[in-house]
Amino acid sequence: MYFSKKLENQIKLGGLLVAAAVGCLFLTGYFGFNNRVADKGYRPEQPVPFSHKLHAGELEISCMYCHTGVEQSSHSPVPSTSTCMNCHSVVKSDSPKIKLVKESYENNTPIEWKRIHYLPGYAHFNHSRHIRAMIDCASCHGQVETMGVVHQENRLSMGWCLDCHRNPEQYIVPARPISGIFTGVDPMNAVNKETGKYKLAVSKPITSPQFGQYETEIPKTIVEGIPTPKHAGFGPENCSACHH
Amino acid sequence: MEKKSIINGKTIFGIILAIPVVLFVAGVLSAQIPWFSEKPPLEFNSDMDNQFKAKTQQGTSFFADRATSRPPVEGTVPREGSKYKLQMNEVASADSLYKNTLVKNDFVLARGKNRFNTFCLPCHGADGKGQGKVVQKGFAPPPSLVVQKASDYTDSKIFHIISAGQGVMPKYADKLSEVDRWAVVHYIRSIQEKNGLKPNSNQQLALSTSTKGE
Ligand code: HEC
Ligand code: HEC
Ligand code: HEC
Ligand code: HEC
Ligand code: HEC
Ligand code: HEC
Repeated sequence: MYFSKKLENQIKLGGLLVAAAVGCLFLTGYFGFNNRVADKGYRPEQPVPFSHKLHAGELEISCMYCHTGVEQSSHSPVPSTSTCMNCHSVVKSDSPKIKLVKESYENNTPIEWKRIHYLPGYAHFNHSRHIRAMIDCASCHGQVETMGVVHQENRLSMGWCLDCHRNPEQYIVPARPISGIFTGVDPMNAVNKETGKYKLAVSKPITSPQFGQYETEIPKTIVEGIPTPKHAGFGPENCSACHH
Repeated sequence: MEKKSIINGKTIFGIILAIPVVLFVAGVLSAQIPWFSEKPPLEFNSDMDNQFKAKTQQGTSFFADRATSRPPVEGTVPREGSKYKLQMNEVASADSLYKNTLVKNDFVLARGKNRFNTFCLPCHGADGKGQGKVVQKGFAPPPSLVVQKASDYTDSKIFHIISAGQGVMPKYADKLSEVDRWAVVHYIRSIQEKNGLKPNSNQQLALSTSTKGE
């Protein structure tokens, strides 16, 4: 016998402890750090087999054709069925894959698209604020136009938001034509011509008039070298900007 | 002399302490791996993530038809501009009801181009000649916008076509604000001019309308 009686008891107790640890700690580690918000790679099956690769990639339909509200509202709504019917009243109207869309249109019932990106109820994200600063969709959603089925590209953690707010230049992809983001008179507005990287425009406060009014142009003054949203609104690290 | 075993109480205690830590870290790390998954993860404790409020794209039990995006209450007036009053076939009234009062400048043209490339390009093509990608895949080919016929249309008529549609072309009043639609009209005019046409613009600048009233 190698062990003393006392040691043997200790080992038995330890074994039990280890077994308990296997159960609890692995699971808390896994599930505690994996919630819906952080679920990178989430790719649910949708009621209609809609492909961004086909529509945005091949057909070059701009993101804003379907996700129209992004410029004005905090949400970027998934299009209503009437948007699909703009084309599918003619194209592939008999395809079995479109059947549900047609039914939804005729009976006025919504299609229940499964939601992929999901911030917790206490954190508020505003698309229009970012889109008007000419930040491309790809900065946050990845290259959606190459995805047959959309998946979540980034963990939407608070650290992720703040990383970019602190060093926007490293994370931001400047507006690309496919997104349909308005960059003002000069399409190169959002890009630093030398580095090819995003440069931040000092944008208008959130409450400024919509594009509809046109009296105020999109940011005229471009300040280079100050790529933080620190001047505007609450400030990017102010808790109440996101947790109001 | 007593043989010194490596496995003494201290090391075992150390191992016992280390295992949970290792497991915990392993759990955390494996949660970081972006597995593609069709199902949302199980949540032990979802904190206050899921609150009783309607998010877009989530059916709600609050309304009988489960739709979260509600049609406007009857009699609602849009905050900006006004609802387009004419139906597709009432082109004739467009000239008198809707006048182009938007001043044309670089900013308006840039906006018009941006909106045109977003909403019209799939069918009409970037050059307006009607060879968009969607047409190549089987949509009814629209007539070219840079021919005499289209340049003879008044601004108001083009505005009407955008707002109410024409034939199989869908209406865009719900997607483009009134000012944006005029900006698109200006942009179409500018590509017509580039093709050597002389557009029949019935533009009426704000100056003259504002002097006649008040
Ligand atoms: C033809 C219309 C159309 C176009 C164009 C389009 N989308 Fe979508 N988008 C949809 C529909 C429908 C859904 C919901 C179904 C799904 O998730 O696949 C969706 C879902 C999404 C989602 C996931 C939303 C969620 O539930 O969290 C993102 C992100 C997205 N689109 C981004 C983009 C981007 C970026 C582009 C431009 C490259 C784009 N879309 C172009 C129609 C479109
Ligand atoms: C601007 C035009 C346009 C819009 C808007 C549009 N689509 Fe399409 N879609 C097309 C075209 C064109 C094709 C056919 C491509 C081909 O023939 O390969 C297509 C193909 C499809 C297909 C594959 C059909 C099949 O049988 O292979 C599905 C599914 C589909 N679309 C769903 C949708 C949904 C859902 C929406 C609304 C969110 C939508 N589309 C909006 C143009 C459009
Ligand atoms: C700065 C990062 C960022 C940018 C840029 C961005 N998004 Fe999002 N998007 C998000 C976040 C975060 C959510 C989750 C919002 C929530 O759950 O409330 C989201 C949600 C969505 C959704 C799901 C519906 C919704 O709004 O709740 C769609 C669709 C979408 N984005 C499309 C787009 C498109 C199209 C663009 C480009 C025009 C874009 N996004 C640009 C971060 C971004
Ligand atoms: C890719 C970079 C990027 C990411 C990721 C990002 N943001 Fe931002 N955000 C910006 C920039 C740049 C601005 C400043 C925009 C401006 O100046 O108008 C901004 C501004 C804001 C503002 C307004 C701040 C103010 O001063 O009032 C809020 C609120 C905000 N972001 C919330 C979020 C949230 C919530 C997330 C995460 C879900 C997020 N952002 C992720 C780049 C980003
Ligand atoms: C740029 C936007 C932004 C700002 C600024 C911000 N937060 Fe957050 N916060 C978020 C997002 C997004 C989440 C959700 C992250 C998640 O669930 O993984 C969050 C989550 C949290 C949580 C819950 C964490 C959890 O996992 O349960 C707390 C607590 C919190 N924030 C506190 C703060 C405090 C305190 C400040 C100010 C110092 C602050 N936040 C500033 C975006 C922000
Ligand atoms: C889904 C494809 C599609 C889209 C998107 C589309 N159109 Fe059209 N358009 C058509 C078709 C098809 C016709 C021919 C209609 C007819 O007379 O039967 C047409 C006709 C027209 C005409 C009349 C041409 C003539 O000679 O009679 C104008 C002007 C026009 N479109 C402008 C626009 C503008 C501006 C937009 C963007 C806001 C746009 N269209 C978007 C398909 C489209």
